[in-house]
Amino acid sequence: MRRVATPLLAITVAMVLADSAVVTLALPDILFHLNATVGQVAWVLIAYNIVLGLSAVPSAMLLRRASPSGLTAMGIAVFAVSSAACAAADSIELLIIARCVQAIGGALALVGCMVLLVHRRGEHRGLSTWITAGVFGTAAGPVVGGLLTDAISWQAIFVVQVPFAALAVPAALAVRADRHVVPDRHRPAIRSNLTQAFLSAALTAALFLLVLLLVEGWKHSPATAAITVSVVAISALFAPPIARFFQPPPTVEVAVGCFLVAGGLVGLALPPSSHLGWTIAPLVLVGLGLGLTVDRLTTMAMEARLPQAEHAGWTIAARHLGTVIGLAILTPVFTADLLDAEMPAQEAITALILDAPLQPQTKINLAQSLGSELTAQRGEVPDLSPAFERLVVNADERAAVDRLESELTDQLERAATLAFRDSFLIGAGLAGLALVTVLIPARRREELS
Amino acid sequence: MSAPRWIGLPVLAAFLVAATVTVQLREGGGQYEPLKPPSACHEHAITPQASGIEGLTEQLVLIGLSKAACSLTLSREEFVLELAQSGEVSGRQAEAIQQGLLDAVEQMSTDGSLPHASDLLDEAMTNADLHPIAKRAIRLLPDKAVNGAVKVDDVLSRAISSLDIQTLLRNLTDQDEINRQVEVAVTQAVKDSLIARAKELIPDIPGI
Repeated sequence: MRRVATPLLAITVAMVLADSAVVTLALPDILFHLNATVGQVAWVLIAYNIVLGLSAVPSAMLLRRASPSGLTAMGIAVFAVSSAACAAADSIELLIIARCVQAIGGALALVGCMVLLVHRRGEHRGLSTWITAGVFGTAAGPVVGGLLTDAISWQAIFVVQVPFAALAVPAALAVRADRHVVPDRHRPAIRSNLTQAFLSAALTAALFLLVLLLVEGWKHSPATAAITVSVVAISALFAPPIARFFQPPPTVEVAVGCFLVAGGLVGLALPPSSHLGWTIAPLVLVGLGLGLTVDRLTTMAMEARLPQAEHAGWTIAARHLGTVIGLAILTPVFTADLLDAEMPAQEAITALILDAPLQPQTKINLAQSLGSELTAQRGEVPDLSPAFERLVVNADERAAVDRLESELTDQLERAATLAFRDSFLIGAGLAGLALVTVLIPARRREELS
Repeated sequence: MSAPRWIGLPVLAAFLVAATVTVQLREGGGQYEPLKPPSACHEHAITPQASGIEGLTEQLVLIGLSKAACSLTLSREEFVLELAQSGEVSGRQAEAIQQGLLDAVEQMSTDGSLPHASDLLDEAMTNADLHPIAKRAIRLLPDKAVNGAVKVDDVLSRAISSLDIQTLLRNLTDQDEINRQVEVAVTQAVKDSLIARAKELIPDIPGI
């Protein structure tokens, strides 16, 4: 067990951080299966991040007062049991409660795994493993969640975590790390953590909004959305070799990363069409930015700062509370923009139907069919295909009807894309704020600390 | 002294961001928005797919809707959606539609796109509730006589003026009821138009 302890602890770190965004692509399924409202289902995501953010520092403090191995194992066990509870939840309230418990266990597991990895591999390699696992989990979370939801069900996201976490419990117990009583020597790295918070808020925009746009706006399957978003994770892997080649100072590396995330979000705000290909280059920028910033910022926030576990707690808190702030800012903006986009979309659809090269009676039948479909699907970006499937038309009008259907779908995609534009630009602004926190000259005292 | 190697990283980042955003903007990024309907007050090209009376009706309705929307300072699409979503047509809306249709007749008459009565006669006789001998007799009339007796713009204006637009739109889903109302209005309009025409030609006949 001691031999596999390191990979199991790294997997636990990746799982806990992946859980921050893992359900993003499953939200529509959860909404449907648990008969929840959009507001309730958003809390499946928000609750986990708030609780994880708030309990990270207390968890680190707790680790100083008891055996790190025992507490970490306990945290992982709580995470495993609550993951099973998430999968078994038959109401949205139970799922949210289970997610809160999962985050409490996750926070303890996350900080504890850092202590155990440092104990096993030494400070530099242990921290590096912990940070890399975290970056991988953050980037891969939505991808894995989307693929599992599409292939099996939303419950599968939580079920697959249970065996890994269950195996990680004895792995944590097998690492006999002693309790180190370290006095409070350093203040939290405010600047690095603030940058992380802004950047997490911006990355929320990139991942959360993009999957919503792909699945709800452009009507792609969760699997397609997952594969598209995987570009972020893959690009993030190329960031370390690039950084090694140029060997920039840490501040430059982080500033460039923030700039790339901001640029990627501007690119996502301005796609020339709903073709998936237009998301690739912006996602590469976001992925490179993520790869350049997250591990470097975490290192800057923790390097030579004691007690290390507490500083790990501060960076986790900054990252996840940043995600919550991002969701809190962006959710009302894009919800309002989606409502605002309804009227232009309806007008565009009306114009195309009125001017369509169809017989008047076909237009009237189509208008009635679309009207009832739009009423039935109120509150979401509608799928017009059922209305067209119901329509009975002559063979000589079929081509014109098919063309009209694709034109109307294009109008809906245009409206949805427009509705997300401001949110992506706000996300770019948040990345810009992260850049500002990097560029403001440091005070001498902070530099010394 | 050469620049440090790390300078290459911000330069590369700036190039990648600039290239991505420039390509997207050049390909129409930022303009990928829903179609913006033109102002209803601007002339709108209409190419009806139906022919004969149905095509004429479609053309009149589409022009009439634009003119009604223009008078209410709305786009044609806003007006149609308002009508579809409100369920009840207000007096102001009905008045605008009626005036819009009358203006449409006038516009088509002016630009010469209104068909002659003889062009619609065959279809009208097929649908008319007349004795077969009467239908046959009317069909035998020369085009010139038909066009001289029945002025399409006059008939349409009379029919539109007599239509109860509010009732008509209330029964929009009942095609038979709409046909009945329109038929009554058109038949009466043809009669009135013929009488008026006869009065013009022979003003001294007592009793007409």
